[in-house]
Amino acid sequence: MTDNVGSQDAVTIARIFDAPVGLIWQMWTHPEHFAAWYGPAGATIPVAKMDVRVGGTRLVCMEVTTPNGPMQMWFTGEYREIIENKRLVYTESMSNENGDILAPSDMGMPPGHPTTTEVRVDLEDLGGRTKMVMTHVGIPADSPGAIGWAMAIDKLAAYIDMRR
Amino acid sequence: MTMTSRDDDRLSKTFAALANPTRRAILAHLARGEATVNELAAPFQLTLPAISKHIKALERAGLVTRGHLAQYRPCALDASPLAEVATWAEQYRPVWEARFDRMDDYLTQLRHNRMTEGHHD
Repeated sequence: MTDNVGSQDAVTIARIFDAPVGLIWQMWTHPEHFAAWYGPAGATIPVAKMDVRVGGTRLVCMEVTTPNGPMQMWFTGEYREIIENKRLVYTESMSNENGDILAPSDMGMPPGHPTTTEVRVDLEDLGGRTKMVMTHVGIPADSPGAIGWAMAIDKLAAYIDMRR
Repeated sequence: MTMTSRDDDRLSKTFAALANPTRRAILAHLARGEATVNELAAPFQLTLPAISKHIKALERAGLVTRGHLAQYRPCALDASPLAEVATWAEQYRPVWEARFDRMDDYLTQLRHNRMTEGHHD
């Protein structure tokens, strides 16, 4: 299994915002602020339930308008780490409106997409400004099929990188 | 979510090409360097036409390129489609970038609102 972060598939983005660290923390932890920026253009976040404590659950609904009417996508997760104004870690999975996790393949995602991903946010107070580093990382899925694909591809890609 | 049907189609081709142990072995061989069809066929108990068929499938998926000038048209690996399927997370990068752009706009708007309120006090 891919335990070491090095072989995990992740995206990391670092940004500096011209806002105090306390306000950036609220961007992630206050539903009304979160809903204001999280959804893509043309989408709304009609539901953002956040029980911001370790082990607490979150449930977010994203609603987009399609030619066939509004379409809702639900995401659930659990808070793993909470250090106010410093570090926030939560998991994320596609779900239904009750927070029951759905398989990514059933939602039209390609093979190899993990069922559960983890979002890590690290904040650094720059005195009125804030450096934010966000990492979105895949957690190996439980389903043997998904693991099989992900591992096969990881291995092959690593092998090829090594020999290039 | 961010996948277009064209991306999806390309991924399907890549996965279809990878869903075969002989073709994965051919890719592993090519990872060591260019090889001719004869060289690729050597480890397998397969006929040249059978190996050629596998190589054509890999070519269609964009995983293998063939030399046009060399006499034996050696095969070479092109790992870029592989990198694409290996990094589902990279598909999220533009999504997050756009989110943080909106966060920036929203913060500007909040600051502006506060300043406007301040003038009224």
